[in-house]
Amino acid sequence: MQEIMQYIPGNGIFHRIHPITKLLFTVILVILAVMTSDLLVLGFLLVVVFLAAWAGGLGRGLTEQIPLLLVLGVMLVLFTVLTMPAGEVLFPLIPAAVPIIGGALPVTAGALLFGTILSLRFAVMLFAFQLLVVSTKPAELVTTLRQLKMPIDYTLMFLIALRFIPTLQREGIRISEAQLARGYAPGDGLMGKVRGLKPVILPLILNSLGKADTLGLTIDMRGYRRGKAETGAISVGALDGLVLSAALILAAGVAAIQITGL
Amino acid sequence: MIRIDHFSYTYRNREHPVLRDISLSLPEGSMTLVTGPSGAGKTTLCRAMSGILSHIYTGTSVGSIAIAGRDMMEYDGIEELSHTISMVFDDADAQLIFTTVGEEVMTSLENSGLSKQEAESELVRILDLLEISHLADRAPYTLSGGQKQKAALAATLALGTQFLILDEATSELDEEARTLIFSILRKLAADEGKTIVLVEHMIDEAAAYADTCVLVEDGAITASGTPEEVSRIIRDALPPITKRPRKAGGAPLIEAEGLVHCYGDLRAVDGVDFTLHKGEIIAIVGENGSGKTTLVKHFNGLLKPTEGTLTIAGTPCNGHSISVLSRHTGLVFQNPDTMLFEDTVRKEIAFGMKNIGKDPNSIGEVLEEVGLTGKEETNPRHLSRGERQRLALACVVAMGQEVFVLDEPTTGLDLAESLQIMEILMRLSDEGHGIVMITHNPGLATTFADRVLKMSNGKFIAATEG
Repeated sequence: MQEIMQYIPGNGIFHRIHPITKLLFTVILVILAVMTSDLLVLGFLLVVVFLAAWAGGLGRGLTEQIPLLLVLGVMLVLFTVLTMPAGEVLFPLIPAAVPIIGGALPVTAGALLFGTILSLRFAVMLFAFQLLVVSTKPAELVTTLRQLKMPIDYTLMFLIALRFIPTLQREGIRISEAQLARGYAPGDGLMGKVRGLKPVILPLILNSLGKADTLGLTIDMRGYRRGKAETGAISVGALDGLVLSAALILAAGVAAIQITGL
Repeated sequence: MIRIDHFSYTYRNREHPVLRDISLSLPEGSMTLVTGPSGAGKTTLCRAMSGILSHIYTGTSVGSIAIAGRDMMEYDGIEELSHTISMVFDDADAQLIFTTVGEEVMTSLENSGLSKQEAESELVRILDLLEISHLADRAPYTLSGGQKQKAALAATLALGTQFLILDEATSELDEEARTLIFSILRKLAADEGKTIVLVEHMIDEAAAYADTCVLVEDGAITASGTPEEVSRIIRDALPPITKRPRKAGGAPLIEAEGLVHCYGDLRAVDGVDFTLHKGEIIAIVGENGSGKTTLVKHFNGLLKPTEGTLTIAGTPCNGHSISVLSRHTGLVFQNPDTMLFEDTVRKEIAFGMKNIGKDPNSIGEVLEEVGLTGKEETNPRHLSRGERQRLALACVVAMGQEVFVLDEPTTGLDLAESLQIMEILMRLSDEGHGIVMITHNPGLATTFADRVLKMSNGKFIAATEG
């Protein structure tokens, strides 16, 4: 089973640079993706993240997420089309030939564009973040966050969120196996599928709440919230400079495009 | 020294006290066993001793608890107490916060104030002590239940506190691993004068290591003494346990030949021949990770053999999906909470019956069979662990398959509750069902099974007649 958002050992560029460089790289990309609403620039950012991933030997992990992102993208576009029509009507979602409701749910150019921009932004952010997470040992990431004076509670929250993703994946599989053993068959059609989720989702949530309670008590009893501040100096190398320079040049380029309106 | 003086406790929004008038005195260098049925208040007692009830929860208490000569309330919160007392909870998974076992233990060591260098040598020592050095770089989600329990214990031992409380922290370990943990704890008590409390159902196994044992029933201490004395009191209250007469084999229900299952390169099940007859009870024992669960998941079609043949009640497993095979074999997973989701016991049992098109009118009979009559409208999550385990069994039994497979049906249950489960299994076998149970309890296996099969590295290495 493929684990989502987990550290993958390796020795590529991204493994060798300091977590703080990666953190900055991610933050710059996320800011750029939020600031720009130019389809070309967003597309370019996506290409940059992918090139960076391939250069770091992490391309495969990213490409595996593409189906999920496509589904999310289609849903985002659909939601914007349905909820915020703007600009010229391209075509109705329900063909005019259908009696009574024909011509309803118009697809507008504005909504389509906005939906696409949202999906691309989301893709850039997710990939940039994933690149950071899969190439950095969680312990190093935590140390770096502590060095940046991030409060211990937030650092722990971040760490725990990462740590429990595969556990939830597995627990979900276990529960669905247990229900399969009871002859459970998810229903047909969309509503059937949604109703069919109950026997799996409900135990998953209830068990997670129980886990959260034990987790909280463990953190308190082990005195983790004492959280000594990390004081070690951050040492970076030439490769860090290179990656950071590239990210800054990219930022400058995008800023120039935004300002000059090219 | 832990001194508990006439202590009672009621959780917020509950009517009845969970602990009633508990008085206990646990001296330095002592190891105490706490035992009793599920839902009796053992976990609450642990939480009382560790300061969680006084400093985190908001229920009402009467009486007092003192740790190391100071009243619990004099401590400045759990933060200060955490230097003195530590606790291992029963859910090991939720106690592994970091992304590798090594980091988990290392963080505890650094938090206990050791220098980097001291911490590193301590890390090696502790991992070695618990025989988990090979797991140092492994992520928690890749570990078995028993390995997680060892890792959680290692992280807690690393804190080096004077008082150590373990709430069913060895429930998923095999016999060998349990013995290792008991002897480590004994040594800590004897050599370093630590005070150790251990909630444990296998008191006979732990008897040689512990000084005293207390029996908790319905929120009160009903017996205390040496582990042998308490064990005798428990046994005297039960009907005599007689060995089940071995039954002659009927027609075969499960036939496996040369069964292999691979996960990537790992041969989790490695060439197993297996036959289960009508009316037969087979126990499968073996260390954590020896392939027991992987094997039984084939019996209802959750897994398909990589190699070899398998026939379930005359149906070859290849070419038939789980929806067909699960009509012949009912599988009860280790933790009842992986399946319970409805808001009443009745609905929970009806779920499986409806799925296979069975009339849910016979729920009353099934509840009587598992001793849960009168609980039809109770929320399953409000039942005790023992009751939930019996409900999980009822949910599957109600579907009426020929074969029932149970993965660790007595984890977290005391002797009386375990015997209740065994009685149900014996009745089912008398009715002609074939039963396979995985267990870490060798006593139950030899007393109640017709055959005991020992598994190691995916193979059966020994078979004994029960």
